[in-house]
Amino acid sequence: MPGRSRKPHQTLLVLRYDPGSGKLRVVVGNRRARLPRAKLAELAAAALSDNAFVCHTATDDADLPGDQVCLIPRGDHCEVLSTYTDGRHRHYGDHRRGLVEILNDIAAAVARGGLHFLDDVQLAQTTNAGEEILACSIDDSGSLAGAREAVDMVLKRRRVQAQTRSRMILCVSEATTNILLHGGGTGTMSLRLLDDRLRAIVADRGPGLDFLDWTEAGAGHARASMGYGYKLILDNLDEVYLHTGTEGTTLILDHTI
Amino acid sequence: MLHTRVEPGDKPIIYLKGDIDLDSAETFRWVVGDITRGVTEVIVDFAEVTFIDSSGTGLVVRMTLDLRSRGVKLRLRSISPPVADVFAMLKVRQLIGDEAFVDPPAGE
Repeated sequence: MPGRSRKPHQTLLVLRYDPGSGKLRVVVGNRRARLPRAKLAELAAAALSDNAFVCHTATDDADLPGDQVCLIPRGDHCEVLSTYTDGRHRHYGDHRRGLVEILNDIAAAVARGGLHFLDDVQLAQTTNAGEEILACSIDDSGSLAGAREAVDMVLKRRRVQAQTRSRMILCVSEATTNILLHGGGTGTMSLRLLDDRLRAIVADRGPGLDFLDWTEAGAGHARASMGYGYKLILDNLDEVYLHTGTEGTTLILDHTI
Repeated sequence: MLHTRVEPGDKPIIYLKGDIDLDSAETFRWVVGDITRGVTEVIVDFAEVTFIDSSGTGLVVRMTLDLRSRGVKLRLRSISPPVADVFAMLKVRQLIGDEAFVDPPAGE
């Protein structure tokens, strides 16, 4: 199929459009991928101008980089999310979530302001804000309970209310589990206190987030989560920040207090 | 840490105590797999489960559906509040049906 080869074949590609420079830069995904930048910039500029969340379904392989491109105005810039499933596991036909459902949830979370993709500069700013109140390493599945207990203890000492505590513990557990399953097997978790929020930072040095792993690992595997771990995180927290690349993934989980 | 205790019988009961996460999910799977041989119904008691995540929930859902397809009923009872919260968030009753629960839905 001649058009296929032009696609970057990335499950998730996130670009940021700056209307001042008129340029797009890659925030998540292969920075060297051949992209129809002029076309995407034109779409992003239109979405910003209309202040409207717009989704394009690509029917022509050569037209857009993924099979769905979402344009999300964010005030001074526009996020461009390109998702690509190659038709794989659109629906399993059972209880598990398909890749397209996962990717759509991600796009919706960005659109409603619950999920933010970070570039390198933003990552440094976000991970250094506030006061660190806990830090631990995640080395194996036995570390998970220890991390949960440590978070519980610190938050109890800070008199954080029970519901906030249990939600934070659940989300930290999901994120640290992700390190073990998809992030190379080791990483760190820290907790920071900011003026109005609790922030958990979960980081690994794995190969970067690949959403295909979330569904592929599920097929008949005892460790599958049905692709629901991320849903628990997005549904239970006020804001989530994600930085991912070939040098690892950092997930930042905020719960306002 | 997950502790399991089995009360044998025609309808064996598996009592769980502790956390069901990535670390303990395999233990849970092994115990259920072992106890369901030769029976048509097994009850799993969640009264003392203090934590469950999506790994544990995924396993419960998949085992319930897999066993059902082999003619074995896996029925869940005494769902503790932390487990009930996660099951509600992930709509577990919709995934495996009310028939998989011994107790009626909360509020009924």
